[in-house]
Amino acid sequence: MASADKPINTDVPEKDVFTLHFLQSLSNLRRQNTFNSPEKTNDRVKKIKKAAYVSMARAAGGTNRLWSRALLRRAAKENSKVVRFPRRKKRVTCLRRRRSNRRDPVEEEEAERLRNLVPGGGGMETSKLMEETAHYIKCLSMQVKVMQCLVDGLAPK
Amino acid sequence: MDLSVLERVKWLQQQQMVSPEFFEILGSDGREELKRVESYLGNNNDEWQSFRHYETIDGCISRTSSFQMEQVKNNEENRATALQHKRKTEGKTEKIENKKNKKIKTEDETESSMKGKSNMSNSETSSEIQKRDYIHVRARRGEATDRHSLAERARREKLSKKMKCLQDIVPGCNKVTGKAGMLDEIINYVQSLQQQVEFLSMKLSVLNPELEYHINELSTKQFQACFTDLPEAVSKQSMMVDASSFPLQHQESLDYSVINSIQTTTLGSKDQTSSGWEIHSQSLYNNLRTDSDSSFFSLK
Repeated sequence: MASADKPINTDVPEKDVFTLHFLQSLSNLRRQNTFNSPEKTNDRVKKIKKAAYVSMARAAGGTNRLWSRALLRRAAKENSKVVRFPRRKKRVTCLRRRRSNRRDPVEEEEAERLRNLVPGGGGMETSKLMEETAHYIKCLSMQVKVMQCLVDGLAPK
Repeated sequence: MDLSVLERVKWLQQQQMVSPEFFEILGSDGREELKRVESYLGNNNDEWQSFRHYETIDGCISRTSSFQMEQVKNNEENRATALQHKRKTEGKTEKIENKKNKKIKTEDETESSMKGKSNMSNSETSSEIQKRDYIHVRARRGEATDRHSLAERARREKLSKKMKCLQDIVPGCNKVTGKAGMLDEIINYVQSLQQQVEFLSMKLSVLNPELEYHINELSTKQFQACFTDLPEAVSKQSMMVDASSFPLQHQESLDYSVINSIQTTTLGSKDQTSSGWEIHSQSLYNNLRTDSDSSFFSLK
């Protein structure tokens, strides 16, 4: 219990990994025939957004992180595909049970909001949630940079 | 460790807490001695009126075993459990009822701690000894049982450590102190990032038709080179680009060639119309097609 904590690892891959994944997903999107019809802008936006998230999840560590697994699983469910992940040591059920014992009203309220934001946050303990949030924030900011670069590059001068 | 133990025992002696039996126990082994101690303590519970005695012995003993926590894994099971109890009693309030239970446990743990390998925490020892003066001040409202409270405290420390990590990542967290404020900031930041993603994806959807042709033509690697470095290239307005300045690391010379060719072409043409893009993309494509292998640095 009083063991020294391992240093928390929140490393994120370089920008080009994110770019690669995002562009791959975009090119996949374009291959769809109905993609570029000018009327259905909302659908396009949603698809691009989803592609952005999925590519971010893949680039950021695939199945190594809890939030990326949850994201990919959610996306696969929407497409009615089955995703298989390699088995991890910890089980989510244990965490759920433990979670009910650790209640600190002020803290848990905020943690609840955070859980709603971070994908896969529902099954995590609060300390694990913090780790995942840190990594998630880093990946999100990287993804935002990539998309910003793309937009800047494509913007008509 | 021996020295520290002796110090403590001397201190105890001074407080006239220690009976000769205790010294006998010091060098011995086994639970029988512990039971003897327990009985000894049990007899004297009624006699000891002063609150302080409890505190001091408990605190003193707790100190001995508190550093042993890391060795829990090495020790036998009984010692491990005893040590856990020990650690948890550290921050306990000085209720006599609790004390009685803890006393036995603490004695238990003292034994185990003394028997255990003690090379682990000389530094901790010194710090703990310094805290000796603050035993009485350290009273904290205990939780239901010792183990839970200690678990709670350890968990809280873990959490605070992770919050500090988050504080470094999220900008603007330094001004706000306290968990609630920081969590608010973090939540706002995450929400803003997600909104940014949505906004940028909307922008991209508008710009998409321009991309269409080029994406069909080019491979994704080329695109990556195109778009990540294009803003930088345009802003730099330089013909030659250092290889080291590129963030790309994986694709090496292939990308460098692409980037160089892009830069020359973009600088050649002033306006970035879609037709201009088309020409550039075509040229790049041809470039890369002719030289499939890497180590291609010539500019178009």
